[in-house]
Amino acid sequence: MDTKNSRSEFGSKRQEVKLQDDSLIIHEEEIEKIDRALIKLIKGAEAKCALLVDKDGHLITRQGFTHSLDTTALAALLAGSFASTREIARLVGEPEFSVLFHQGKRDHIHISLVGERSILVAIFDDRTTIGMVRLYAKECGEELATILGQAHKSKKKSEPAIDSGFAASAEDRLNDIFRD
Amino acid sequence: MVSINYAFREISCKIVYYGPGLSGKTTNLIYIHKKAPPQTKGELISLATDADRTLYFDFLPIDIGPVQGFATKFQLYTVPGQVYYNATRKLVLRGVDGLVFVADSQAAKLEENIESMNNLIENLEEYGYVLEELPMIIQYNKRDLEEVSSLEELEKCLNPRGLPYFEAVAVKGIGVFDTLKAISKLVLEKARGKSEPEGEKELISVSAESKSSVMPSAEKEELEKKPYAPAREAIPEAPLGKDSFEEVERDLEQPEKTYRVEEKLEKAREREREKEEQAKETVRLQKEKEEELIKARLKEQEEKARKEKEGAERKKLFLERLEREMAEVERQKKALELEKIKEAEELKKKEQAALIEKMKKMEEEKKTLIQSQSEIEKETVEAERVSKETVPEGPVQTVKADETGLPFQSKIIISPMLKQKKTKPAKGGFLWRWIQKIAGPNLDPKDRR
Repeated sequence: MDTKNSRSEFGSKRQEVKLQDDSLIIHEEEIEKIDRALIKLIKGAEAKCALLVDKDGHLITRQGFTHSLDTTALAALLAGSFASTREIARLVGEPEFSVLFHQGKRDHIHISLVGERSILVAIFDDRTTIGMVRLYAKECGEELATILGQAHKSKKKSEPAIDSGFAASAEDRLNDIFRD
Repeated sequence: MVSINYAFREISCKIVYYGPGLSGKTTNLIYIHKKAPPQTKGELISLATDADRTLYFDFLPIDIGPVQGFATKFQLYTVPGQVYYNATRKLVLRGVDGLVFVADSQAAKLEENIESMNNLIENLEEYGYVLEELPMIIQYNKRDLEEVSSLEELEKCLNPRGLPYFEAVAVKGIGVFDTLKAISKLVLEKARGKSEPEGEKELISVSAESKSSVMPSAEKEELEKKPYAPAREAIPEAPLGKDSFEEVERDLEQPEKTYRVEEKLEKAREREREKEEQAKETVRLQKEKEEELIKARLKEQEEKARKEKEGAERKKLFLERLEREMAEVERQKKALELEKIKEAEELKKKEQAALIEKMKKMEEEKKTLIQSQSEIEKETVEAERVSKETVPEGPVQTVKADETGLPFQSKIIISPMLKQKKTKPAKGGFLWRWIQKIAGPNLDPKDRR
C-alpha cells in the first residue's frame, strides 16, 4: 500500500517496475550455459577471453585468460563506458550503439549489447580478426539473450534471496574490518 | 539492485556517494582505500580531470569476505559533484543499492547542498527510483572547519525525513567507516527485506540448495546481539539468552514491526509535508515565471515603442531631406526652364535679325535690279530713238538681247520683284504707250520717264 502510493505519486511506475524489482540473480545452471556459450565464442573467434557484465557494472561470469585482469574494475569501467556511449547515442538521436570496438596496439576489445541489460565483452589480439570476433560475438549474443531471458522468467517463480540473518552477520564482519 | 551470483557465491551491492562538488566524496573513498585491510579492498580507480576533480566516477571494490557462504562485495562509486557533469552523474546512479549523501557543512555551501539533493531526487526519478525506498545515509562532512552550519539547520534543510546521519571529517577519517558500515547494513537489510514475502523458511531451503545449508551457530548468536538499528531511532535490543533460533526470530520481529509502522507513519507525514512544500514551491515558481514573463513583455513593448519612435524620427528626417531635395530639384528645373526660355528668345532675336538682314539684302538686290532695269530701259529708249531715226516705218520685229543673252521680254517676266508690283493702268504719252505695247502689261509705271 505504502509503496504503491509513493510510486504513483511520482508517476514513473513503468520504468520503476523494470528497474527496481529487477535484482540480478544468477543460478549455477544458467552460469554453466553462459560459460559454454562464452567458450564457444573464444574457441571459434580465437579470442583471449570473454566476459559477461551487467549494465550496472557487476561481473556475471568470465572465461579464458582472465587471471591477469582485474575483472571487477574492468566490469565497472566497461559498464561505465557503455553507459556513456549510450548517452552519446541518445544525444545524436540513436536509441543505442549496440556494438563498441576499442582498438589497441596488441589487444582489442569488442563490446556488444546482450538482451536488455547485459554486455558481452571479448578481448582479442592479432591472432584473429575483428570480423571473426564480430561474427561469433553476434551468434553468442543471441544465445546468451535467450538464456538470460529464460533465467529472468524462472526467477519469478521461486525467488531466492539472502537470509534474514545475513545483514547482522555482515555487520559484525564490517565492524571487524573497518576499525579506525 | 543487489546482484546475487550463485555460481560464484557472490553478493554484490552498489553504493553511491552523492553530494555537491568538493564536499569530500572522493576523500571518503581514498580514506577507505588507505585504511581498509589489504585483503578486502581492490584498486581505487579514479576517472578524474588533471585538477583531480572527478570526471565520471571513482570506483572502489570492497570484499568483506564470506558471509553465510557468500562472498559479499560492495562496489563504492562516487559521482562528479560539479553541476555541469549531470549527464555522467546520472549514469553512475544506474542500478544503485544504497546512497551516501555527503554534505558540505560550511555555511556558505548550504545552498549547493540543497541543490545537489534536489538533483539527486530528480535523477533518481528519471530512473524510476523513489528516494524513500532507497537505503540512504547522510554524512555531514567538514565538521572541523570554522563557520559551519549548525546540525539543526543542516537537518532541517537536508534531512526532513530523519534519515540516519553522521558527522564526519573525511580527511582525518572521522565518521568515514561509520558511514560505510551503516549504509552497508542498510543495503543488506533492504536486500533481505525484499525477499520477506517469500517466507523465511523457504529462504533457508534455498540456501540449502546452494550448499550453505546450515547456518553456523556462531552466526546465530551474533544475530541475538545486534539487530539492525538506525543511528537516530534507538530500538530496544533483543533480549539475550534465548536458546532457540525461532524465539530469537520472534523477538527480533517485534521491535522491527513497531519500528516499521512508526517509520511508515513518519514517512507518510513526511511525504505530505514534502508534497505541500512542493506545491508551494511550484506556486512560487509559477509566480516568478509570470513576473518574468510580464517583465519581458514590458521590456519588449518599451523596445518596440523606442524602435517605433526612432523609426518615426528617421522617417521624419528622411521626409524632410526628401522635401529639401525635391525643392532643390524644382528650383533647378525652373532655372533650366528660364535658361531655355532665354535661349529661345535669343534664338528668336537672332532669327529675326537674320530675317531682317535677309530682307535688307533682298531690298538691296531689288534696288540693283531696278537700277539695271532702268538702265536697260534707257538703253532701249536710246535704241528706239536711234531706230526711229534710222528706220522710220514698221514695227520693230527683232528682239534685242541684253548682256546675258536672254530675250529682253522674258527677263522682265522672270524678275520676281517686278511681278509683285501692281501694274498700273497705262498712262502717259505716246512714247510710254508704245513702250508699253512692246514691253507688255508688266511694265512699272515708275519707269515711265
